[in-house]
Amino acid sequence: MSELTEDVHLPAAAAAPERKRATGLGDLLRTPAIGGSAGVLALLLLAALIVPPLLPYGPNELASATALDPPSWSHPLGTDELGRDLLARLLAGIRVSLLVIVAAVPLALLAGGLLGLFSSAGRWTDTPTQRLFDVVLAFPALIMGIAFAALLGAGLTAVIVTVAVAAAPMIGRVLRGAVRSQSARDYVLAAKVTGVRPWRLYVRHILPNCFDVVLVQTSLACATAVFIEGGLSFLGLGVRPPDSSLGGLLSSSLTFLTSSPFYAIGPLVVISALVLCFTLLADALNRKLAAR
Amino acid sequence: MLRYVLRRLPSAVIVLLLATIPVFAVLRLAPGDPAATVAGPDAGPEVIASVRHDMGLDRSLTAQYFSWLGDALQGDFATSFVSKAPVSDLVMRGLGNTGTLTLCALLLAVLIAFPLGLAQALARTGRLRSLLSGLNVVMLSVPPYVTGVVLVLIFSVGLRLLPPGGYVSVFDDPVAGFQFLLLPAICLALPAAAVLARFLTASLQRVFQEEHYFASRMRGLSAKRLVLRHGLPNAVGPVVTVLGIQIGHLLGGAVIVESIFAWAGLGQTLVTAASARDYPLVQALLLLAVTVFIALQLLSDVVYAVIDPRVRERT
Repeated sequence: MSELTEDVHLPAAAAAPERKRATGLGDLLRTPAIGGSAGVLALLLLAALIVPPLLPYGPNELASATALDPPSWSHPLGTDELGRDLLARLLAGIRVSLLVIVAAVPLALLAGGLLGLFSSAGRWTDTPTQRLFDVVLAFPALIMGIAFAALLGAGLTAVIVTVAVAAAPMIGRVLRGAVRSQSARDYVLAAKVTGVRPWRLYVRHILPNCFDVVLVQTSLACATAVFIEGGLSFLGLGVRPPDSSLGGLLSSSLTFLTSSPFYAIGPLVVISALVLCFTLLADALNRKLAAR
Repeated sequence: MLRYVLRRLPSAVIVLLLATIPVFAVLRLAPGDPAATVAGPDAGPEVIASVRHDMGLDRSLTAQYFSWLGDALQGDFATSFVSKAPVSDLVMRGLGNTGTLTLCALLLAVLIAFPLGLAQALARTGRLRSLLSGLNVVMLSVPPYVTGVVLVLIFSVGLRLLPPGGYVSVFDDPVAGFQFLLLPAICLALPAAAVLARFLTASLQRVFQEEHYFASRMRGLSAKRLVLRHGLPNAVGPVVTVLGIQIGHLLGGAVIVESIFAWAGLGQTLVTAASARDYPLVQALLLLAVTVFIALQLLSDVVYAVIDPRVRERT
C-alpha cells in the first residue's frame, strides 16, 4: 500500500523542482531589481561584518582629540561630538540592525507560520486566530514598541520583541491565504485520495508550494526590523548610549545639523538603503514569483 | 445603510474589547509594585498596604480589569506616577497638537496621492511608469525619521526657508504657525500618500478593464471626461478603506515626527512616559491609539458603503 502511494503522488512532487529550475536562483538574481537590491544588501552586511576589526578605532573609542571633525583620510566619515570615529560607529550600527533581523525575523516566521497554519486548519481555529491578528495589528508598530520599551526597559530585547510581534500577523495572514488556495487545488485532492497522511501532505506538498509568499514576507519583515530598530533607537528607547545604532546616530546628528551636516549623511544613506532594498527585493520577488 | 453599520459594529467592538486586555496588562506585567511606586520611596509597609487597598490592587484580576475598564470608559485613568496630575489632563493637553498635525498630514497625503495615483495609472511609456513607481517605493519605505532629517537639512539648514522645529499655534500667529506645521506634516504625509496612490492606481487599472468603461470609451468620450467622470468615481472606494488604516499609521509616525520637530504633542508625552515608566499614562495613550484606529477603520468601511451600494448588498 505504501509503495503504491509513493508511486502515485510522485508526479506532483517531481513537477515542482523542475519548474523551480526554470526560474532558479541565478535566474532571479539576473532580474535587475532583485540582483541590484540583493547586491547592495550583501555589500552593506559584508562591510559591517568584515571591516570593523580592520579599523584602527573601535566604535566606542575616543579616536580624535577634537570633536566633530569633518571627513578626512584618517576619519572617512568624520568624528562625533565626543571625538569617536563615525565610520566605526556606523558599521557597529549596521551590526545591531543585522542582529535584530537575525533574532526577530525567525521568531516572527515561527510564530506567524504556526498561527497561520493553525488558522487555515478549519473554521473553528480560523476566527479566533484572525481576531488575534486584528488585535495585534490594531496597535501601530512603533506605539507598540514604545509600550514594550516601557515594560522591558529600553534596549535590544524590547526592539526584538516588537519586531517579532509586529511582523508575525502579516506572515500568518499570508501563509493562511496561501495554504487555503493550495488546498483547493487538484494535486492536494489527488494526494488525499491516494491516502497521503495529513502531516506528509502539509510538509511535502502544500508548504513547499507556499515558500514563495513566505520568502516575500521575510524580506518585508527585514525591512520592518530595520525600521523599528531605527525608530525606537531614534526615540532613545532602543539601543542605549554609548553603544551605537543607526537610529541613535541619526538622532544625535540632529543636534549638530547646522554646524556639522556630515554627521547625518552616513546613517541617512544606510537606513534608506537597507529599508529600500528589502522593500524592493520583496516587491520584485513578488512580481517575479507570481509570474511563474 | 443602518443595517450595514449594525452588522459591522460587533466585530469592531469585539476587537476593541480584546485590545483592552493587553493594555490593562501593561500595569500588571510591569516590573515593581505599582503601590510602592505611588506611595513613594520612604513609605513603610503599612502605608504601601493602604495605598494598595486604595488602588484596588488587593482585589482579583478580573475585578480590577472591569473596574479599570469602567473608569476608562468614563475617561478616568487615575493619576500619573510621575507628575501626580490626572492622566486625562495630560492627554488632553497634547491631543489638540497631535490632532492638528495628523489632520494636516492626512489632507496633504490625499492631495499628493490623487495626482500621483492617476499619473501612475495613466502612464503609458515604460520609463515614466518606472520613474513614478520608483518614486512611490521611495516615499513608501523610507522611514519618517530619515525623511524628517533630510527635510530639515534641505529647507532649514540649506535654504533657510523654514524653522527646523518648534511649535506656534496657528490661531495665535497664522503665518508662523503654518511655517512650523509644514515640514512635520509633509514628513508624516509622504508614506501615507504612497500607500493611497498605490491603491488608487490598482483600483483605477481594474476599472479601466471593466465593460462599462470600455463602453464609455467606445461612445467617444474625451479622455478627461472618461477618467474623471467614469474612472475615478468607480475607483475611490477601496482607497477610502485604506485611508482609515493609514490614519492609524499616521498616529505611529506622529511619535517620530513630533520628536524630530520638537512638536509638543501626544507622541512626546508617550515617549517621556515610557522612559519614565509612567504606566498609567502609557496605558491611556495606548488605549487612545487603538480606539482611534479601530473607530476610523469602521468609519472608512461605512463611508465605502455609502459611496458604493454594491458593498452594502454584498455583505
